[in-house]
Amino acid sequence: MLNYKAPRRDMHFLLHDVLDIVEHYKQLRHDDEMSRELIDSIIEEGAKFAEQQLAPLYQSGDKEGCHFDNGVVTTPKGFKEAYQKYVEGGWPSLAADEAYGGQNLPSSLGVVISDMMGTANWSWAMYPGLSHGALNTLEAHGDENQKQTYLTKLISGQWTGTMCLTESQCGSDLGILRTKAEPQADGSYRITGTKIFISAGEHDFAENIVHIVLARLPDAPAGTKGISLFIVPKFLPDAQGNVGARNGVNCGSIEHKMGIKASATCVINFDSATGFLIGPPNKGLNCMFTFMNVARIGTALQGVCTAEASFQGALSYARERLAMRALSGIKAPDKEADPIIVHPDVRRMLLTQKAFAEGGRALCYYLAMQADVVASNVDAETKQAADDLMALLTPIAKAFLTEVGCEAANHGVQIYGGHGYISEWGMEQLVRDARISTLYEGTTGIQALDLLGRKVMMTQGQMLMKFTKIIHKFCQANSSDADMSPFIPELQRLNKEWGDVTQKIGMQAMLNREAVGAAAVDYIFYSGYVVLAYIWAWMAKAAQAQLAAGATDVDFYQSKVFTAKFYFQRILPRTQGHVASMTAELGTLMDLDAAHFAF
Amino acid sequence: MANYKAPLRDIQFLLADVFNADQQWQSMSAMKDVSVELAVTILEEGAKICQNELFPLNRSGDEEGCQLSQGKVITPAGFKSAYKALAEGGWIGLGGSPEYGGQGMPKMLTCLFEEMMFAANSSLTLYPCLCVGATLALLKHASEELKQRYLPNMYSGVWSGTMCLTEPHSGTDLGIMRTKAIPMSDGTYAVSGTKIFITGGDHDLAENILHLVLAKLPDAPSGSRGISLFLVPKWLVNADGSLGEHNAVEVGAIEHKMGIKASATCVMNFDGAKAWMVGEPHQGLAAMFTMMNYERLSIGLQGLGSMEMAYQHASAYALDRRQGRAATGAVAPHEVADPIIVHADVRRMLLTIRAYTEAGRAFAAYTGLQLDLAHFADDANVRERAEQLVALLTPIAKAFLTDRGFEMAVLAQQVLGGHGYIREWGLEQLVRDSRIAQIYEGTNGVQAMDLMGRKILRSKGQILKPLLADIAEEITRAKSNSELLPWCEQLQQAVQQLQETTDWLVDRAAVDPDCAGAAAVDFLDMSGLVIFGFLWMKMVTAAHLHQDKDFAQQKHQVADFFFAKLLPKVGGYQQIICTNPRCVMQMPAQQFLTNV
Repeated sequence: MLNYKAPRRDMHFLLHDVLDIVEHYKQLRHDDEMSRELIDSIIEEGAKFAEQQLAPLYQSGDKEGCHFDNGVVTTPKGFKEAYQKYVEGGWPSLAADEAYGGQNLPSSLGVVISDMMGTANWSWAMYPGLSHGALNTLEAHGDENQKQTYLTKLISGQWTGTMCLTESQCGSDLGILRTKAEPQADGSYRITGTKIFISAGEHDFAENIVHIVLARLPDAPAGTKGISLFIVPKFLPDAQGNVGARNGVNCGSIEHKMGIKASATCVINFDSATGFLIGPPNKGLNCMFTFMNVARIGTALQGVCTAEASFQGALSYARERLAMRALSGIKAPDKEADPIIVHPDVRRMLLTQKAFAEGGRALCYYLAMQADVVASNVDAETKQAADDLMALLTPIAKAFLTEVGCEAANHGVQIYGGHGYISEWGMEQLVRDARISTLYEGTTGIQALDLLGRKVMMTQGQMLMKFTKIIHKFCQANSSDADMSPFIPELQRLNKEWGDVTQKIGMQAMLNREAVGAAAVDYIFYSGYVVLAYIWAWMAKAAQAQLAAGATDVDFYQSKVFTAKFYFQRILPRTQGHVASMTAELGTLMDLDAAHFAF
Repeated sequence: MANYKAPLRDIQFLLADVFNADQQWQSMSAMKDVSVELAVTILEEGAKICQNELFPLNRSGDEEGCQLSQGKVITPAGFKSAYKALAEGGWIGLGGSPEYGGQGMPKMLTCLFEEMMFAANSSLTLYPCLCVGATLALLKHASEELKQRYLPNMYSGVWSGTMCLTEPHSGTDLGIMRTKAIPMSDGTYAVSGTKIFITGGDHDLAENILHLVLAKLPDAPSGSRGISLFLVPKWLVNADGSLGEHNAVEVGAIEHKMGIKASATCVMNFDGAKAWMVGEPHQGLAAMFTMMNYERLSIGLQGLGSMEMAYQHASAYALDRRQGRAATGAVAPHEVADPIIVHADVRRMLLTIRAYTEAGRAFAAYTGLQLDLAHFADDANVRERAEQLVALLTPIAKAFLTDRGFEMAVLAQQVLGGHGYIREWGLEQLVRDSRIAQIYEGTNGVQAMDLMGRKILRSKGQILKPLLADIAEEITRAKSNSELLPWCEQLQQAVQQLQETTDWLVDRAAVDPDCAGAAAVDFLDMSGLVIFGFLWMKMVTAAHLHQDKDFAQQKHQVADFFFAKLLPKVGGYQQIICTNPRCVMQMPAQQFLTNV
């Protein structure tokens, strides 16, 4: 049985020792309101909520799943009540705009809270998560009237929201979507079409659901440049803004899935439903992309959540389960066998999970801070730098962290041996639930194309160089620190290699446009390993500084240094294979005739 | 969802062109009646049963699962008749000893059939698979009387068998097991204890179930040297062969699992059950190990079957599904979008699956051949050489094939995007079903330790010699074709990296025992890749002589992908392994816990 404990110690280390978040908030907000005490107490409240309200529903929610009956979706036992407590606790409004009822706390703190809630119960966390997506859309593009009507309700949590993009014939390729929007005399639109894979599309949490829908106007240009964005509420608000008449929106069915079974994945039918345009006509995709980077941090987090949950489960088992004796001599002579944590291969798996969970968490928090900067009123140059950094790093975080999150979950099952395959332990559920994370919100392949094509190649490598410069500076600043010698030379080498392979692929791409697609996934994995190397070196530095300053929590800080060394020696060499693969001749991929793939 | 189609063309190519099976079988007196022609005919019939009987029950079996009702396991609808078709067709005894009614076919042939069964329906296949394991142990170690009484009905599928090893506290570490066997005055034993994770421990497919149970005699030495092997029938068998009383063995529960839901995973309670010893007292583990090589390959075949099925699903989808346009311009301008096969990354995924699948099948045949040679070769030197290869290859076959089996299922799921996560498409089931193969029959970590400790270190690396000789011979042969020269050099380099890594480990492990454990899994992966490189070389060389130029070209192109994109990982493994193992061991156990 899984028993989630929020990693408070790690969070404090990251926020205070590594990222110096108090200073960061002071700079952005021009006030002292966000003190260490306040931050830590909010984390503590979030931790309690996640541990006490959400974690106990994780396995029961999977077992029970969502039920569909004639358009009505019933969520598993306890889910609705947990959402009520979430609303009462004011969590939906944490980082939202004060003008519409929000608490105006930094959105990076919201990411820390999401980290805990997502680890405790990812399926549950998807409902507020999707709501957040709708909320962000309205905040960025809604008009004042729309904000007053819908945003306030989403911020209070009274209503929830969804994002309706996918249709049965179009997923990665949104340009071919068919849902129609016909203008009406009163300025509204009639929306007709079928959307699939709509998370939280229907449920029993809240009295109304606000769908954000991509659709085409009658005169829309073909392809992605002809898509507009609409608000389509399940119930139309009446004159007072309360729930009024039922709109032509219906849930047609829910999917039977591999995992996240407590999250309702809906087919939503829009049958001449009344909708309201958000943002300019035909600019729907652009509107979505404005906050895509922030949304991607949310999905990247699933990789961290998975790795953390699986690590916690595996660690408790590895310390209790007795099997065989340590190779270097008996460690528990009074027991019939040693706990399996003595075995190098078990440690290899645990340390891999730990390296991904903690490294991934640091990367997500770091990105969340960049999002704070982008949303703040600092000078344009600083903002642009943060925006560029996010543009480069978010596809990496999304693809890489969810992929290694799946790897970590599989290590967790493997550590349990046969018991890992049995449902009651919860470890196999983590694998099933995690598997969606590399598929939705843009598959790994799509993220990789975004990174290599749009971010790296289209900027002639400029966006990448801004980040490698940061790493370079870090290496220079620490090159004379003897304690950092296990990290700096290798990081330095990789940082240079990153630029070199990018150039090589760029040359290939000039000769053949397929080169980008051929190299993209290897490239994003490679980039992920290098980014995490920087993050781990940075954390090692921070931990060593604390040790040098005489911190009493020696075990904790040492474990950071040990894990960093493990990452550098045992994980980082994986970059080699990726380099060879992504710089290989193109013919290897494109020569085989399409007709010869299947018989 | 794609339908399953057995890879008969590839099988024919392997048997006839790559491994010269006719010549191999002619060299063994016990196999001299077997020919490629016969083998292909048999496998064509086998393909039909897998495609028409087994595969259609794969999805429904997963949805329905097994039920436990009043102490009896009920398998999903249709399983009984499919099992009957297998039994009556003689498929369960395909590789069985002819002395007791088996068909006596070589492993190189039966393993190709097993792959088909696993690909079509792994849950269903596990019932006969475990039974075959039990017959191997009985054939080798049971008394003549027991063999006469049980084997013919097991080969014909009238009865089935299980292997009862695991207990709640003892899985990997069998030395600490507790099930007891008390000798009775009539020469039988009374077995008591609880076994878990017993595949096919109870079901409604056969009239009787014969459990092979590991237990300890009262005077047994502690640890793994005090374990004996017993046969415990569910129904006692009368002297005339008819079924008598129900023995004191009951199914206590069935597990709720991630996958293989149509395979009953049982808790078995033995309460003074009547038992017969198989083999010598305290030699139970050794007796189990004699059939372990066969079983490991079998589970490896589950991985291979998973890869093949993954490929069939994903390639069918990729040719059908339309999204986006090719980077070099629209390929299907009259359609709303191009089929996703035009995208380089989709091709990368498909080619990865295909490169591993086809090499995996060659690997299975190669390992099957060594098992046959070890068992049937007329020349003792040939037998000895083959035994050495078997010892080396079987842990790799089990772990490397099942790891790839799971990964390839995941990649195929990735090709389907969101649809891959939805049950009706079948890919998510494949991921769930294939996940178990990395765990049972010795986790892949345990396989890696077997390879590293027992095989590599104990022989100081000498065990690699016959394999390396086979590879060297293949490279020499390939060098005569100038087109293959770059691959020859690359393979040569990979072999050298493997040798350097082995030497480093042999030296290092002598002073630091943890070094081996820290490197084991990576070393197994590295070895698997080198062997796959060897087999791709072998296949390409054979393909170049093939009459079907289209087929030959495809092999060449997939090999091209393998050498460019997959084999280079070998270098990374060398770097990961040949590093101070202290980074794995130095962190004290309590420091793993400091986060909360």
